Amino acid sequence: MLFNSFAFFAFLPIVFFLHWSLFSKKEQFQNLFLLVASYFFYGLWDWRFLFLIIASTVVDFYIGKQIYKNNSNSKRKLLLWVSIIFNIGILFFFKYYNFFINSWIDLFQLFGLELKNTWTLKVILPVGISFYTFQTLSYSLDVYHKKITPTTHFISFATFVSFFPQLVAGPIEKAANLLPQITKKRTFNYSKCTEGLKLILWGLFKKVAIADAIAPMVDDIFQNYAGHSASTLLLGAFLFSFQIYGDFSGYSDIAIGTAKLFGIELVSNFKFPYLSRNISEFWQRWHISLSNWFKEYVYFPLGGSKQGQLKSIRNISIVFLVSGFWHGANWTFIIWGSIHALLYIPLFFTQNNRKYSNTIVAQKTLFPSVKEIINIITTFSLVTLSWVFFRAQSITEAFGYFKQILTNFSFEIYHHPSGYRMIDYYLILVLFIIYEFIIRKNERAPFNFSSKIIRFVLYTLIIFCLVLFFDDQIDRSFIYFQF
Amino acid sequence: MLKLSIKIGCYLFLILLILEILIRVFHLAKDTPQRFIDKSKVEKWVPNQKGISVTGIRKQNAAHYRINNSGFNSYQEYNSTKEQFELALVGDSFIEGFHQDYDDSIGKKIENEFPNIKVYEYGYAGYDFADQLHLIHAYKKDFDLIDQIIIYIDFNSDLLRYKYTVIQDRITLQSPLNNMLKKCKLLVYTKSIGLLDPPKKLIAKLINSLNKKQPKTSKKSIEHTDKTAIYINNFKKLVQLYGFDKQRYSLLLNTNTTPKPFLDYLTNNHFKIIDFHQSFKKATAPTYLIYDQHWNNYGRSLIAKQISKTILR
Repeated sequence: MLFNSFAFFAFLPIVFFLHWSLFSKKEQFQNLFLLVASYFFYGLWDWRFLFLIIASTVVDFYIGKQIYKNNSNSKRKLLLWVSIIFNIGILFFFKYYNFFINSWIDLFQLFGLELKNTWTLKVILPVGISFYTFQTLSYSLDVYHKKITPTTHFISFATFVSFFPQLVAGPIEKAANLLPQITKKRTFNYSKCTEGLKLILWGLFKKVAIADAIAPMVDDIFQNYAGHSASTLLLGAFLFSFQIYGDFSGYSDIAIGTAKLFGIELVSNFKFPYLSRNISEFWQRWHISLSNWFKEYVYFPLGGSKQGQLKSIRNISIVFLVSGFWHGANWTFIIWGSIHALLYIPLFFTQNNRKYSNTIVAQKTLFPSVKEIINIITTFSLVTLSWVFFRAQSITEAFGYFKQILTNFSFEIYHHPSGYRMIDYYLILVLFIIYEFIIRKNERAPFNFSSKIIRFVLYTLIIFCLVLFFDDQIDRSFIYFQF
Repeated sequence: MLKLSIKIGCYLFLILLILEILIRVFHLAKDTPQRFIDKSKVEKWVPNQKGISVTGIRKQNAAHYRINNSGFNSYQEYNSTKEQFELALVGDSFIEGFHQDYDDSIGKKIENEFPNIKVYEYGYAGYDFADQLHLIHAYKKDFDLIDQIIIYIDFNSDLLRYKYTVIQDRITLQSPLNNMLKKCKLLVYTKSIGLLDPPKKLIAKLINSLNKKQPKTSKKSIEHTDKTAIYINNFKKLVQLYGFDKQRYSLLLNTNTTPKPFLDYLTNNHFKIIDFHQSFKKATAPTYLIYDQHWNNYGRSLIAKQISKTILR
């Protein structure tokens, strides 16, 4: 069930109404109902893969309890490894198995040895597997490190793992944040609900009027890159930057907003990343829940930045490579991660990686300074160029794309593949960028204006844009579902 | 929760109201003229209506239409005489031309090239060969005065029946409920862009699951039999029933999409053909609208030229 589908807009009010009316007496009822709704939500995609979620839930619930009970360090460690192997194992099997087999075959071919491709399997990638395995894994790790006490309520834990707003594409929640909210009884909160509805509206706008609207152009340019000039290819990369941002941050906003309707606060996943002044700031603002996960469960255990510069560089490189690989079983993602590592390491050396940790562009002024504008444009350009690897189907395609930019350096007027007016898209993008700048101080309140009239006008305009840019001819699924 | 529901309800009502106004202001939704069946059982538009036909999301194509006294989209009235050389174009939506301004139609393009002739366009969306021949037959008096009659025909969609009867499905579009719903431009626009398809499909699915009867449609069975033979037979029956003056009537068609047996039949029986396949093949630009299935301005110019070349020169 897609967040931007009619089915979801029929499903959500029903679940919302039942949750706060029939099942609001006790937290057990609330959680049991949310669990059933979440399994239904997931099962509509493919009910067969529900067993994976259930298996992951049962294993980590049991292991969490056992780790907590045991005093022996070796036994605790063993149990933790069982959880890690189980979660990473299913992730590896469904997501990376074929990639490793094919890479082996390619490696042998490099040395002139032909291997028959009989080991690859026809495996469907279960939606959201990268997200919920990381979430359950974080629970075992937190229990092991004694950061949290394991829950004794299985239903609550199962709801934590499969909570439908964030089940398939995050934000990846740590047990320390989400579990306590689930284990206690939630009461209806009017202002939280309205905040949630506003976020859902803003997320839908980003998805429908930005990401979905420009998707056909991006597809057209990337699929036919060999026939386009440099100006069109640069436009393609630029548009993809906004497609993926609108798509994923739109999803996150709808997820956070939906969770708010049920009285649950999820962590922020995006904080205006394209207003970042360097790559480090970009990573503090882009897919925050994943960055934090890797920081806490990979970077810090490796030693972080406390074991000398060489080891720090190694740790940073590992985190970026693994992060790239997490996105998909393709070398393009590994190169994408490597590029970001290469862009990040100089900042780390010059101690500029935390320069903008607690501020936003034009923090105390109306407009950004010239220096800030230059920094933003530079960072955005670098990120945009790296997206080419992220979007390309193969490394050859990505390099071909860049080669075409360099060798066919000319300007052409690009026409929409369906013949639509291009000015509509340029206009909506410019307005979107300006509006994002205006609301830059609070990613969780996109309509934070004191005047009721301004707010009402904005709601109307946003819905008008949704109606204007809705196109039933295009694939409306979310990009991050494939991860 | 009651407060929330009331607030959402009020907001939604106001927003929908403003959206209706915005869609009217920007004229995003198409106007639909009223249709009727006259005494001769010819289905056509109610005379003397004007409006704008819009296609595509965000008004990608907009064209003015004008329904004349005869009930067809044209810039002029049809008064056929013995003295004037007149040409009639009979066809479906391609000839009707709601996707073009009424004063820039195929007929007008021919008239621009030959100022001494009059071109009357009898186009109506959904017309098939049965409709077309029945129309000519029903208005025999008028058509007898017209010097040349060109019938646009698409073999795969226009020969599904061998006898004319009024198509009730199209007439039900004129029901009071439909007329009322058409007044809500927000509804018309959202329907045209497919926004209302998912709920419609869901309702249809629910109805189908409740009513497990197999649909009576014979479409699939037709696919299994010899479609071409049936259609040729339908053509023969219609020609026999309503008459076909081979001296004055011509068939406008694309030989590329028409099966060879039918083309052979036409040639062997001396039916006049105006083929636009070659001129479309040699076209230097797209000939169809991208967000619509109809000929664009360039395509219409090619059709006009082809008619001029074959009939008038």
